[in-house]
Amino acid sequence: MPSEHRLHPATLLFDLARHARNFALPAVLLIFGVSRSSGGPGGMFGAMPEGWEVWLPILFVPAAAVSVFRYLTFRWRCDERELVIRWGLLFRHERHVPYARIQNVDAVQNVFHRVFSVVEVRVETGGGKEEEARLSVLPRAAFDEIRSRVFSSRPAHAEHAEPPVSAEHSEHPEQAAPPAHPVPTALLHLNLRELLLFGFLENKGMVVIGAAFGAGWETGWLDRLLGRYVTDGPLGRGFFRDLFRALFGDGPLPVAPLWMALAGIVAFLLVVRLVSMGWALARLYGFRLTRMNEDLRTQYGLITRVSATVPIRRVQTINIRTGLLHRWLGRASVRVETAGGAGEGSAAPMREWLAPLIRVEALPQLLQEVLPGFEYAAVTWQSVHPRAFRRAIKPVLMFLTVLTLLLATANIWVALGVLLVLLPWLSLSTRKHVQHLGWVEGDEVVLMKSGWIWRQVTVARINKIQVVAMHQSPFDRRAAMARVTIDTAGAGAFSHRVDIPYLDQQLAQGLADRLSAAAANTAFRW
Amino acid sequence: MCDIADGQDHQLDPRVIPLEQATGAIQLVVVAFWSFAGLLVGMLVGDSLTVPIRLGLLLLWTVLVGLGAWLAFRWPARVYAHTFYRVDGQGIEIRRGVYWRVVINVPRSRVQHIDVTQGPIERRLELGTLVIHTAGTAHAQVALTGLEHSRALALREHLLPSGAGDAV
Repeated sequence: MPSEHRLHPATLLFDLARHARNFALPAVLLIFGVSRSSGGPGGMFGAMPEGWEVWLPILFVPAAAVSVFRYLTFRWRCDERELVIRWGLLFRHERHVPYARIQNVDAVQNVFHRVFSVVEVRVETGGGKEEEARLSVLPRAAFDEIRSRVFSSRPAHAEHAEPPVSAEHSEHPEQAAPPAHPVPTALLHLNLRELLLFGFLENKGMVVIGAAFGAGWETGWLDRLLGRYVTDGPLGRGFFRDLFRALFGDGPLPVAPLWMALAGIVAFLLVVRLVSMGWALARLYGFRLTRMNEDLRTQYGLITRVSATVPIRRVQTINIRTGLLHRWLGRASVRVETAGGAGEGSAAPMREWLAPLIRVEALPQLLQEVLPGFEYAAVTWQSVHPRAFRRAIKPVLMFLTVLTLLLATANIWVALGVLLVLLPWLSLSTRKHVQHLGWVEGDEVVLMKSGWIWRQVTVARINKIQVVAMHQSPFDRRAAMARVTIDTAGAGAFSHRVDIPYLDQQLAQGLADRLSAAAANTAFRW
Repeated sequence: MCDIADGQDHQLDPRVIPLEQATGAIQLVVVAFWSFAGLLVGMLVGDSLTVPIRLGLLLLWTVLVGLGAWLAFRWPARVYAHTFYRVDGQGIEIRRGVYWRVVINVPRSRVQHIDVTQGPIERRLELGTLVIHTAGTAHAQVALTGLEHSRALALREHLLPSGAGDAV
């Protein structure tokens, strides 16, 4: 019987810190935010003594007590076929997680974890309603042991020796052959420059700014800022009034405030990009992609360090994205969608970074790691129906007609102006969009590319196809075209997928039949 | 049950038409009730509405409800005429849609599990709804309403993966 282990003593510290963090923010807001106590005479809760809110943090104590008991009673061990964890004093829990159902064993480390050299281990089964097992916190060596036990018991790894284990734990009973350590192959490493470039291109600054906006609103700082510039200042209501009068009536254009507004917008956009670069640095610092046997491992993070595993055979689709700037700089961004666990219908969808930023020349080689034998550079794209533009422009024209008619009831000149601007733009973008559509049907994969300014390529493995559907709208039926979509597990609601429009009807029927036959003849293994 | 997987196109059970008409009628009644309540409240509150406008709004409501009733009566038959399903050894193919048509193909090897559900009206008409769950996202559930209950059960038996080694 393998010996049972306990959590690292630092667990207590981390749990208490977590509770304190949950209580600290409301406590601070309470003390500094509320100007008057709601107890005492005249307050909302007049029956309570004045200043009663100060005692609210006493609720922290029971939460902390629960944490202490959990730590004292927690035990874990690695059996032959499963990971067993037990905890609880009054209500006892025991959970068995078979190695065969474990998809990922990840380690997360933030700054404080590194001080104590511990990690928070997350065991993901990804199966239906089961919660993953979370061991917080364990020493680093224990994480390596768990990971090696879990992945070495895979049948596919029977002939490989275990991954390198630290010296103190080299007495594993099933290590019959002399230990040959498979070297992890480094596939990608993002240095500082690449990371900053990635942040600049990705432009995630708005997320952080949104959070800052919320915080600013709470503390009233935003009110003061707006008051200085907008309500009482030069960009206030008077500004918009003057602007409208200048455009639609006859009044002078408010030039100076207009320049200030434009400068403000430009500055804001720049700040957003800078924030995005900072975010990328914090989130993906030291990004490393390595391959270990049949898994891809990614490690990244500055403050919170994440070590994630992506089993190659659980990759459903690969998504390659390039924007205008990406193409100018010769880079691309690659993500994978995985799904795992044999659970109820909705498997936990996960989108992982495979390569946040990679040079276009290195892309075929990276794809070969995930799809051996696949030559991305040798792909010959098929285009959609030659009369696709005529079909695609019809809904656009309908929309424009309705819009123009609606606007014309208000102001005929505005309607014509909008039409004059939108018509050429939408025609051009539709034509470009149709030109850039392409698809390929291979033996093992189906690819589709779309997009004009933001281009995306999705590679879907045929043996991961779930449902094949063929759609025809009334426009399609008139033009004898159809749209073929492939459904895979783990796709996001708005993520790019293999969804090929404007195909010739016969071609679409043939493609759908072949793909569903191929899917029917292969068993789906998670 | 090999006779169910005959590879022929089948239509739904014709009793699905009264089923859908009844469902549509119930939905229409609910919508008409609440819209009428809203209209009444609006007219009571809006003192500035003259009598012709009030009569016009009432007329509009009546016309819309009448249109809804006509659709609820007519539409199910059209849906019935455009819905087919075909079952063979490989899987099930469902064709449906009057204006926006779709052909959905679910291979047997991709079926996770299947439900057969029956609402109260369906129970009286001995119909059932077959809900096929897959691991996909857009088509995580493929539903086929209006099958005869025993037939739906037979389809479920046929489509469920019957153990390992079934598909290559």
